[in-house]
Amino acid sequence: MSEQSIGERLFSGRIVVVVGCGGVGKTTVAAALGLAAARAGKRTLVLTIDPARRLADALGVELGEEVRAIPLGAESQGGSLSALMLDMKRTFDELVERFAESEEARQRILDNAIYQHVSDALAGSAEYAAMEKVYQVANSGDYDLIVVDTPPAKHALDFLEAPQRLVDFLDSRFVALLIHPAFSAGRLGVKLFQRSARRVLQLLEGVTGLAFLEDLSGFLLAFEGMASGFRDRAARVRSLLLGDESSFVLVTGPNAEALHHAEDFLGRLQSFELPLAGLVANRVRCWPGGRSAPSLRDPAAAQASLSSTFQERGEPIGTADSRARATLEMLASYAQRVRRDAASLAVLQPRAEALGCFLREIPELDADVHDLQGLGEIGRHLFATEPQRPDGSMEDPSQRPPNPPGPPKANAG
Amino acid sequence: MDPAPASSPLLERRLIVVSGKGGAGKTTLTATLALRAARGGQRVVVVETGESTQIPELLRPGHPEVGYEGAEVLPGLHVMHADPFAALAEYLETRIGMRALVDRILAFEGFRELMRAAPGWRELITLGKVWHLEQMQDAGSPRYDLILVDAPATGHGVRLLDVPRVAASALRGGPLREHTLQVEALIADAERTLLLPIALAEELPVKETRELVERARSGLSIHVDRVVLNAVEPAPFPPGCEDLDERLAALPDDLEVLDLPPAATLTACARHLRRRHELNQHYAAELSGSVGLPTLRLPYLAGGIRGPESLEELSESLEDDPA
Repeated sequence: MSEQSIGERLFSGRIVVVVGCGGVGKTTVAAALGLAAARAGKRTLVLTIDPARRLADALGVELGEEVRAIPLGAESQGGSLSALMLDMKRTFDELVERFAESEEARQRILDNAIYQHVSDALAGSAEYAAMEKVYQVANSGDYDLIVVDTPPAKHALDFLEAPQRLVDFLDSRFVALLIHPAFSAGRLGVKLFQRSARRVLQLLEGVTGLAFLEDLSGFLLAFEGMASGFRDRAARVRSLLLGDESSFVLVTGPNAEALHHAEDFLGRLQSFELPLAGLVANRVRCWPGGRSAPSLRDPAAAQASLSSTFQERGEPIGTADSRARATLEMLASYAQRVRRDAASLAVLQPRAEALGCFLREIPELDADVHDLQGLGEIGRHLFATEPQRPDGSMEDPSQRPPNPPGPPKANAG
Repeated sequence: MDPAPASSPLLERRLIVVSGKGGAGKTTLTATLALRAARGGQRVVVVETGESTQIPELLRPGHPEVGYEGAEVLPGLHVMHADPFAALAEYLETRIGMRALVDRILAFEGFRELMRAAPGWRELITLGKVWHLEQMQDAGSPRYDLILVDAPATGHGVRLLDVPRVAASALRGGPLREHTLQVEALIADAERTLLLPIALAEELPVKETRELVERARSGLSIHVDRVVLNAVEPAPFPPGCEDLDERLAALPDDLEVLDLPPAATLTACARHLRRRHELNQHYAAELSGSVGLPTLRLPYLAGGIRGPESLEELSESLEDDPA
């Protein structure tokens, strides 16, 4: 990538969207990015939609439905860090309130049994609600930068595609027919459509019972007139997220599931012209010191020699032998983990080069991240200035995996 | 036929729903249980709910993917792919009676559009199929002794189990409501059905699993009697060498023995493995304590899951079944 640092690249825009499959540490990376931006002087908001409260855990604070300011201490340089956990149902209710054509329509939707059960399950509604919130806060002027932790999704691009699908659905002819079975237009094509559709509805009635279709119709009727408001908003948010002031960071990890998800995402990038800034591989088992895991030329000789070393230090021969064996086994087992991760992640380097985006690996830490100190450590790996080595690891003694448990101590390496 | 070895109580259920986040090892556990049950002489069917089947390849490398119609991958071990549209077609056919008509409905773009956006029906139809598998009989006895469901990764599989309840309350009447109630009854039947959560022994997965167990007890009404923790890191050193970490740390940092890495590196590797082991143990104990259930621990396999041999290895650790 260019000389521009990762921080400059990410924080010069207004929005950073963090994508990735569940379980890779997306929220932790989003929080670490937010903290780094705040420390660089940006008024930053980290927005999460995660019901599992990962953001709250990572920051070590309670998060509710309101924006919460995270105290940074002395080193803020005019920046600030805030966090918001999105209540999807509430955001969706707010949308209904905004776009409903009348007070009566609004109440009809909120009271509908199907809405109450499915508004959060309707395909795309989570993503729609998240996008809506991003749009609101981006236009509030309260923040220089918004870091968006996207909802976990089967497909990485659901975040962008799902809202459109929701709008398309609400706008579809079939739905229109469910709402107004008697509606008739003059054109032959429409009539044919209606005839088939009505037949389908009759058949479905035999399966679901009439009551369900009535409720469904009532639910969709309630949404009537909202589709255009939804559509307009979805388009604006989309152009905001795909525009010049936004950048995407894809978080992945060395496991098959995460890499499959990442490949899927990268494979479909082309059709979106999505501003991907970088790839982050999280929780990578690294060899201490950043070198690749060594292969021993003669493990038996090494074991014998290590046994002698233990014997020289006063161990009886039997104990020394079993300790040497255990050490060699431990070493081989650790090396196997490191090699396995490096082999899995080898696919990312050429992808990153081809896309002109950065690739950073964050080693698996010894302890869980629960506070700004832990996030700061993640940030140091993200923004490390040392070039990455060909094997993808970084030459930086402070990144040895075995940092002591508890608060990280100053580690001169 | 050889006398079948006694199955563990775990496998005496009719239906086990294996639930966990993506990457937790759901599919591996499902395949391991299937293998074990089939070895014990049970007729097993595995229902995979992902985009394609993975278990046939895991059990028999080179085996092609399996569709909705299913295939006998190993003797007595069937696998099927719960493709929602195929299940919908089958269901509609039983209701409407004419396959040609069903195909016309399913080909109708307006209907597909509706179904693509509509929530819940995929889960409902999948569980409907599971119910159907449970009911199937050959010459008066059940076709399958054990049905294993590899639940979807989203939302911890809660949605899958929650849907019958939600659907039953959203449907005011009609045949669909009747069928939904039957599915709900199967899920809630502790004699027949078990929810088997699997997670990594780490902070957030453990927290989410605790929430899942609480949901299972309060809202979902599905029985859960143990949880599985996957990839539990072993201690870095075997019994008899427990203090080896300290011995290594006592060596001079720059000591190099033959082509071994310097002592500082040996210590660093051991320390990392020790910390991961301790974290796993800590969270395993925390989960077990907080939900009051035994945990079943599957070991971390440093070489990864490589076909049937790995499953055999995991299967052996299921011997220590606590319940």
